[in-house]
Amino acid sequence: MRRVAQTRVVESDVCIIGAGISAAMVAERLAERTQASIAVVEAGRRTAGLAERARTRDRMLAYGENPYPGDHVAGQIGTGAMYNSMAVGGAAMHWGGAVPRYSPEDFRVRSLYGVGFDWPIAFDDLEPYYQEAEERMGVAGEQGPPEYDPRSKPYPMPPLPLSYNLRRMREWTDAAGIPFWTQPWARNTEPYQGRNVCQRCDSCYVCPTGAKYTPDFAFDRLLADGRVDLVPQTLVRRLVLNADSDRIESAQAVRTDSPEETVEIRAGTFVIACGHAWSAHLLLNSAGGRFPTGLANRTGNVGRYMTGHWFASGFIELPMQLFPGIFVNNSLLSHRFASPGPLDRYLRHDLRLWESDVGRAPRLRGDDRRTLWGDEIVSDWRARTQAATARIRAYYDVIPDRESRLTLDPSRTNSLGDPMPRLGFRAAQATLDLERHTHDAIESRFRELARSGGGKVMRTQRSQLFEHPGGGCRMGDDPATSVVDRWSRAHDHENLFVVGAPTIVSSGCANGTLTFCALSLMAAEEIGRGLR
Amino acid sequence: MSGGVAGSRRAFLKRSAAVVATASAGACGRRGEGEGEGATAQVVLPGETLRAVGKAVLPGELGADGTERAVAAFERWAADLEPVAELRHSYLVPGVRYSGPDPRPGWAAQLQGLETECMKRHGTSLAEAEIGQRREMLAGRVQEARGDFGPPAEAGHVAVALMAHFYRSAVARDLCYRRAIGQEQCRGLAGAGDEPAALAGAAA
Repeated sequence: MRRVAQTRVVESDVCIIGAGISAAMVAERLAERTQASIAVVEAGRRTAGLAERARTRDRMLAYGENPYPGDHVAGQIGTGAMYNSMAVGGAAMHWGGAVPRYSPEDFRVRSLYGVGFDWPIAFDDLEPYYQEAEERMGVAGEQGPPEYDPRSKPYPMPPLPLSYNLRRMREWTDAAGIPFWTQPWARNTEPYQGRNVCQRCDSCYVCPTGAKYTPDFAFDRLLADGRVDLVPQTLVRRLVLNADSDRIESAQAVRTDSPEETVEIRAGTFVIACGHAWSAHLLLNSAGGRFPTGLANRTGNVGRYMTGHWFASGFIELPMQLFPGIFVNNSLLSHRFASPGPLDRYLRHDLRLWESDVGRAPRLRGDDRRTLWGDEIVSDWRARTQAATARIRAYYDVIPDRESRLTLDPSRTNSLGDPMPRLGFRAAQATLDLERHTHDAIESRFRELARSGGGKVMRTQRSQLFEHPGGGCRMGDDPATSVVDRWSRAHDHENLFVVGAPTIVSSGCANGTLTFCALSLMAAEEIGRGLR
Repeated sequence: MSGGVAGSRRAFLKRSAAVVATASAGACGRRGEGEGEGATAQVVLPGETLRAVGKAVLPGELGADGTERAVAAFERWAADLEPVAELRHSYLVPGVRYSGPDPRPGWAAQLQGLETECMKRHGTSLAEAEIGQRREMLAGRVQEARGDFGPPAEAGHVAVALMAHFYRSAVARDLCYRRAIGQEQCRGLAGAGDEPAALAGAAA
């Protein structure tokens, strides 16, 4: 029997497209502070809930299986650095929960150092929202030296305790004169929002206890309170303009489990919270009429200035015995070199330190390539554990280029015929000019640190993967060079907001999620003003 | 070496028959709704041969009980292995990854091959062969294996899979360090900064 196409209509005051961490922040704030009806539309489905995570964790550890099975939409995948996750909770279901803030300098690199771009906002503008994001997700952190770790209020929870190994490593870094402190984490050290305390399971990718914040917890609360209408398995394909103005009138979507069923979402305000790839993609895919190159794209900036940071890393051999394997997911952090003061030549980076068993793991063959058997393997392994390995990594600032772009790829389409995104990240010439200087300086810092502990650098490596990516709808005061304003409102459409990762101007030298959340909360404040 | 050749031959033939026995897919450890697609008949690994391999490749320091526990843990792991399972996402790499096809039929055949070769070469079953003889037969077979014990399911040879499974375990780490490290074991935050305790009876 032929099925008749059906259209379901969803109406709300606010339509949030995407159900990841930025969406959770916006939905929660609006639900608490306004009476607006809120629809959250998500292409993926709900994935493994807390009750299932002990089992999926066991499978992940034993077999490397995805602990959130089916957290993607078949065929909805692009080319370039992007996440696979498309589910309620988004990529933040998988995250480790590292939540450093950007440094004040990140927002003013042009003014301070003559490179890159200043943001339209300063650190101080964002600081209250950083705090709010930390309180919403529950962050455990240690106050670092205030000059490198500025904050107006204490962390919501005390830091995760250092393991024996990290304690020993911190003695080493203290002696080297470089201040390190505990990485802040969105993991509970006290019962928080009805969630458990961290049990140091060392599988943070999937937390079996619920101590790690994931956005599904926020949606569960909002659903239980009847404050949002969650519309899962509904892929928004394009936004539609009002016939007489540049306001967005509706979103056109299809059910991913039943593509013949279309969904029309009508709302007063639309919020795109689809991450660094799908946000610009949706705008570009909505091209037509008065916006032939995509919505919010009058000045041609949608999909441009894609950004992220690169890193240099190393393994340092230290003359001490450590016992790797307990709480390896904690780490030490330093922002000393993210706030370097005046510079002759631009160089900013963070430092992270972990325990490691690189060079100290069991192996099948000895140095002479002979196969080892039985007790020989243990003896060989044991002999190599008399010294320790520390892993060190420096994320450094990469200046985005206008040609660092997300475009629609007509050669790769989904089952509906929509072109998929192609992400072609590119660093600005200024970063390429600085590359050698950057690596020499960072690796020299690694060597200095190793020497101070009587150790040596075993090896170093470099990565040009644009980590913690963002951009594509960057914020700015000037519509000629940006897509959204400082409140994440599209310059071209008064009732359209793009939130989170796509709006960042640069990726700084720290994990980005907390900043994406803070920017989303700042946007939510502006959205809320229009609803009161 | 104990037992005569004739007795060994009888035992060998019995074991060989067991090698090719297959069990229903229901015992394959598949779980949950919608996970039934692609189920394959589970191949049972011949336990006696596997134990003979275990005694040759696992550390003697484990003792007989420890070796038995390690082999039994591998058997349980192999029984629950799901071929072509959806794997954990790689960071910023688009596309869903799946594990490889079922390695167990190949492993069973390898074990059977070891028995056959042992019988031809030494006139005895693998379990009755000297440890040195077993290692000699295994040496050529593990030559191509990666040296760092990657995921056991990706090991080309069952002996390497068994070793990889053991050496990636908490038991192996504790044995090496002679400390109660207990990797990947959930525990509270109390005592987080303490040096892990020495294992009872462990030499310094």
